[in-house]
Amino acid sequence: MNSTNATVFVVDDDSAMRNSLKWLIETVGMKVETFASAEEFIKSYYPGRAGCLLLDVRMPGMSGLELQEYFVRQNILIPVIIITGHGDVPMSVRAMKAGAVDFIEKPFNDELLLESIRNAMTLDQDQRSLQAERAEIAARLAQLTPREHEVMEMVTNGKANKEIASALGVSAKTVEAHRARVMEKMEATSLAGLVKMVIAANLYGDH
Amino acid sequence: MPLPLKRPQKLSLLRRIPMPLMSVMIGLFCGLVVWALLDQVQPQALRSIFNEELETRLDQQARETLIRFDNYVLAHTSTARLLANHRQLANYLEPVYWFKGDTDGPKQYRSTPPWLPGSTLWQSLVRPSHILLLDNEGRIREIYQLGERPLPDELAGATELLLSEQRVQANLTTLGDRPYLLISETAEDATGTEMGFLMLVAPIDAQFLAASQQGVSPNGVLVGILEADEQRFLASSDQFRLPAQRLLSAAESDFLVTAQSFSEYEGSTLNLQFATLVPRSVVEAMRDRVAGLERRQRLVAAFTFVSVFTLIFFLLSERLNKILQRVSRFSQRALGSKQPVIERGNQLFVLEDWIHQFIQLVRDTREEMRQQHETEMHESEMLKQAIMETALDSIITIDRRGVIIEYNPTAEQTFGHSREEALGRVFAELIFNGESRLRFSLLLADVLSSRDRHPDEMRHELTAVKRDGAVFPVELAIKPIRLKNRLAFTIYMHDISNRRRIELEIRSLAKFASESPSPILRVNRRGVILYANGASDQLLSYWGCERAQTLPLYWRNRVTDILGSGEDWQTQVICATQVYSLLLTPVVDLGYVNIYGRDITAEREAERQAREHQQELIHVSRLSTMGEMATGLAHELNQPLSAIANYANGSVRRLQASDRGAEDILYALGQITAQADRAGEIIKRLRALVGKQTPVRRVADINEVVREVCSFVEFAARKAGVVIEQEFSLGTLPVRIDVVQIEQVLLNLIRNALDALLEIPEDERSLVIQTSCREGKWVLIRVLDSGAGIRDADMGRLFEPFYTTKESGMGMGLVISRTIIEDHNGTITAEQRAEGGTCFSILLPSNNRNSDE
Repeated sequence: MNSTNATVFVVDDDSAMRNSLKWLIETVGMKVETFASAEEFIKSYYPGRAGCLLLDVRMPGMSGLELQEYFVRQNILIPVIIITGHGDVPMSVRAMKAGAVDFIEKPFNDELLLESIRNAMTLDQDQRSLQAERAEIAARLAQLTPREHEVMEMVTNGKANKEIASALGVSAKTVEAHRARVMEKMEATSLAGLVKMVIAANLYGDH
Repeated sequence: MPLPLKRPQKLSLLRRIPMPLMSVMIGLFCGLVVWALLDQVQPQALRSIFNEELETRLDQQARETLIRFDNYVLAHTSTARLLANHRQLANYLEPVYWFKGDTDGPKQYRSTPPWLPGSTLWQSLVRPSHILLLDNEGRIREIYQLGERPLPDELAGATELLLSEQRVQANLTTLGDRPYLLISETAEDATGTEMGFLMLVAPIDAQFLAASQQGVSPNGVLVGILEADEQRFLASSDQFRLPAQRLLSAAESDFLVTAQSFSEYEGSTLNLQFATLVPRSVVEAMRDRVAGLERRQRLVAAFTFVSVFTLIFFLLSERLNKILQRVSRFSQRALGSKQPVIERGNQLFVLEDWIHQFIQLVRDTREEMRQQHETEMHESEMLKQAIMETALDSIITIDRRGVIIEYNPTAEQTFGHSREEALGRVFAELIFNGESRLRFSLLLADVLSSRDRHPDEMRHELTAVKRDGAVFPVELAIKPIRLKNRLAFTIYMHDISNRRRIELEIRSLAKFASESPSPILRVNRRGVILYANGASDQLLSYWGCERAQTLPLYWRNRVTDILGSGEDWQTQVICATQVYSLLLTPVVDLGYVNIYGRDITAEREAERQAREHQQELIHVSRLSTMGEMATGLAHELNQPLSAIANYANGSVRRLQASDRGAEDILYALGQITAQADRAGEIIKRLRALVGKQTPVRRVADINEVVREVCSFVEFAARKAGVVIEQEFSLGTLPVRIDVVQIEQVLLNLIRNALDALLEIPEDERSLVIQTSCREGKWVLIRVLDSGAGIRDADMGRLFEPFYTTKESGMGMGLVISRTIIEDHNGTITAEQRAEGGTCFSILLPSNNRNSDE
C-alpha cells in the first residue's frame, strides 16, 4: 500500500462531520483532504491522484450521487464510499449501481469505516497498476506493423503457422519471422504470455 | 255627369275651320310644297340628263359628219383611180415620151385635156381645182386647171414634195396655209409602161366641206378643219359664220365644237383635226323645249294630287260627321251630357276632345271606385290585423282540410313556430299530438254539426305541443267561418298552463305554512296569536300561551315596536332542549306581525363540534408537520452524533497510539461536548413541538418566536438552497399568545414559502421574515418569498378548507393558521408582491399597553 501518495478525500457539507472524519482518519496515518461541496472537490481534483472518496449523499447543490455520475461520465476511476444519514435502500442501491465500493450509514463504527477506506485504497492501487500495465501493452502494440498485428491476432486465436501462411498467402517461414518479431516487440517470453497481454489490453473487446 | 268641355285656346282658329275647307287648304298647301320641291329638284336632274344626252348626240353627229367627209374623200380617191386607169389616158400616154432633160414648162389646159374622159363622167362627183400629170421623176408635165384658183406654188415648184407625196393615195396637207387634198395614182400607157402619176388636187374650202356634207346640215351644224397645234380653223363649211383662221376659243362662244383626228390619212405631217360645230342657239332652244315640257307635267301632277287629297278628306269628314252625330246622341243619352257634341268646327278635333273627355271620365270614375274599395279593404284589414296582433289569445285560421292559413303573433310566441313555418302546415299535426289530435278532429266535426251554441260550451281544454316539444294545456274555441265558396275555421287558443300552475300554487301555498317543519305564527298588533302551525307548539309552551291567546308582555311590547318601526327584528330563544332563531316581520298595512322560527339546535351542536374538530385538526396538522420534519431532524441529529462518535473514536485511537499531545484530545473532547449539546438542543425542540398541549397564553417576544421557528426550518431551508433573511424590529415586540400555536402558523407559512421557492431557479430563491410594530397597538409579521406567487383565481380561495395547489397538501394549513390567528384577535392576509412572489401578513394585538399598565 502506497500510503504516502494516497489521499482520503472527504466531501461533506457539515463542517463538524468533515472535521471529525479528518480527525478520525488521520489517526491511522492517512492523508485527508476535506471539501464542503461536490463542486469544490471537482475544482481541486485531477484524475491522476491516488486515493479514495468519502462522499455524503445529501448535500445542497450537487448531491453525492450526482458527483458519482459525473465521475462515471468523465471516466474517472476513483473508489467511492458513500456516507448516508438514513440508509434509505433506493439511494444505496443507486449508489452501488453507480460503482460505489461501499455504503456506510451514520453514525458508524470507526473500525468499519477505516476497513472500508483501506479496501478502497487497495482497489485504487490495483486499478492504477492495471491501467499502467494496459498503457504499457498498448504502447508495445503500437510498435507492430499491420502485418505483424494480423499475425499476432491469428496466433493468439490459436492458429498454427501453416494455417496463417495459407490464410495470408505467404510462406511459413515468413510467418515465423513475423511471429518472432511480434514476440520480441511485445516482450513476451511465451505464447501464453502474449495471449495474456492481449486479453489484458482488452484488445478484442476494443474492436 | 256632364262632360267638362275645356279646350286649349291656341288651337281655336284651327278648330273653327270645317274639315272639307281645311282639307282643301291643306291640299293646296301640300301641292305648292310639292311643286316647289319638284321645281328645286327636277330641273337639275333634267339638266344633267339633257347634258348627257346632248353629249351623246353631239358625239354621234360628229361621227356622222366625219363619215360623210371620209366618204367624200373616198369619192375623190375613186375618181383619181378611175381617171388614171381610163383607156383615154393610156391611149394618150402611148406615144408620149417625157424626156428627162426637157426644160419646157408643163402643158396647160383650160378645157378638158385629151387624156381625160368627158367631164360628165366624173365632174358631178368631184370638183378638184387641178388635175396633174407627173412623170416618174415627180415633175409636172401637164396641168388641167378647173376654175380660177391658181396652182399653189408649193406644187408648182417643189417637186420633192410631189415625189414624197406620189406614192400616197390620198393625202391631206396644207399648201400656203390652206388645206388641200392630194390624191395620186399611177398612170400607165396602153402597153402597160408606167409613165408617172395622175394627181388630183382639191382645196378643202367651204365648198369642199359643204359638198362633203352633201347639203345635209341640220340645225345649222358646221364642219371645219382645225389646226390642232395652233387651235385655229383652216376652213369651214360656212365661210361667213366661221371664217378661216378663227381661233378655236373664239368659235366656242357660238358653237359646241367636237374635234376628231384623221387617222386614216397617213403621211400627213400636220396635226389636222376634223371639227363638227353645233351652234349653241340650237342647243339652248332644245333645252328650253325640254324644260317647258317638264313644267307642264309637274303642274298636272300637283293638280292631281290636290284633287285626290281634297276628295279623300271630304269623304272622311262626311264619315266623321256621321260618327259625331252618333257620339252626340250617345253622350246625351248615356252620359247625360246636356251639350250637343257637334259644334261648328273641325270634326276631327271635336271627336278627339270628346274621346279625351270620355277617357278622363272613365279614368276618374275608376280611380274613385278603386280608392273607395281600397279604403274599405284597408280599414277592414287594419282592423283585422290589429285584432290578430294584439289578441292575447293565439288566433289561428285553418281551411277545411285543416291547413293553417292565418297565424297571429301570439300564436308564434305560444307555440314557438314562426308564421312562415306555420302557414301551409296541417294545424292538428303541428299543434297537437296523440290523443289531443283525435279530440280536436272530433271537436271540429261537432262544431260543423251543431251550429248555434253558447260560446262557453264551445270552450275545450286540450294538450298542445310547443315547437321544442314541451307539452302544455290550452283552452280552445273553434269558430267556423262560412265564406262564399269555402269553409274555414278560426281557432282561438289560450295557454292555460300558467293558470293551472297558479291554481296549484295557491292550493299548495295554503298548505305551505302548516307543512313547514319550522314554527310559523301570525299575531295582530295586540299580540293575539292569530295563527300558529303545528311546529309552533314548543314555542307556545315556552311562551305559556295557546292559540288565539295573547303573548307575554315583553313580546307584546316587541310586536308594538316592530309595527311602529316597520323593521324586522331577529332574536334567539332557548326553550327546554331546543334553540330557536326567531324573525319577526311586520305586515304594516294589515297590522300583523309574522313570526318565523327556526330550530337551530342542530346548527349550534354542529358549530360546537366543528370547533372541537378544528382543534383536533390543528393538532393533527401539527403532528403531520412534525412527522415530515422528523426525517429532517433525524438527519440533523445524525450529524452531531456522527461527529461525536468520530471525535470520540479518533481520541481513543490517538490515546492508544499515545503519539499525540493532550491538546489534540482536549480539542476533540470540547467538540464532543458541543456536538452532544447540539443533539440535545434538537431533541428539546422536537419535544416542544410534539404532544398535544392545552392552549396556554403567555406574553412572549415575537422576535424570539420567529427566531425559534427559523431554527426549526433551518435544515429544510438549507435543503432548498435558501437562506432565511430575518429582518426584525430593534425593540422587543411583546404579544400575548399561545407560543406553540403561533409557531405552528409561522412554520406553516415558511414551509409554504419554501415549497414555492423550490419551483424557481436556485439563484432567484429568497425568503424574508420581517417583524415590526404598527401604530403601537399591533405587531406585524410578514413572510415574503420570491416564488411564482399565487394565481388570482386561487387568491380568493386561499383560506378555504381542503383547497390546495400542492400535490401532496391537505389544504388545511392556511385554514388552521387563520383559525389560530383569529383566536388571537388578529388577522392573516395574503397578497401578491409587485416584484413577484407572495407576502403573508399577520397582525397580532400588541401586548405593549398591558405591560405599560
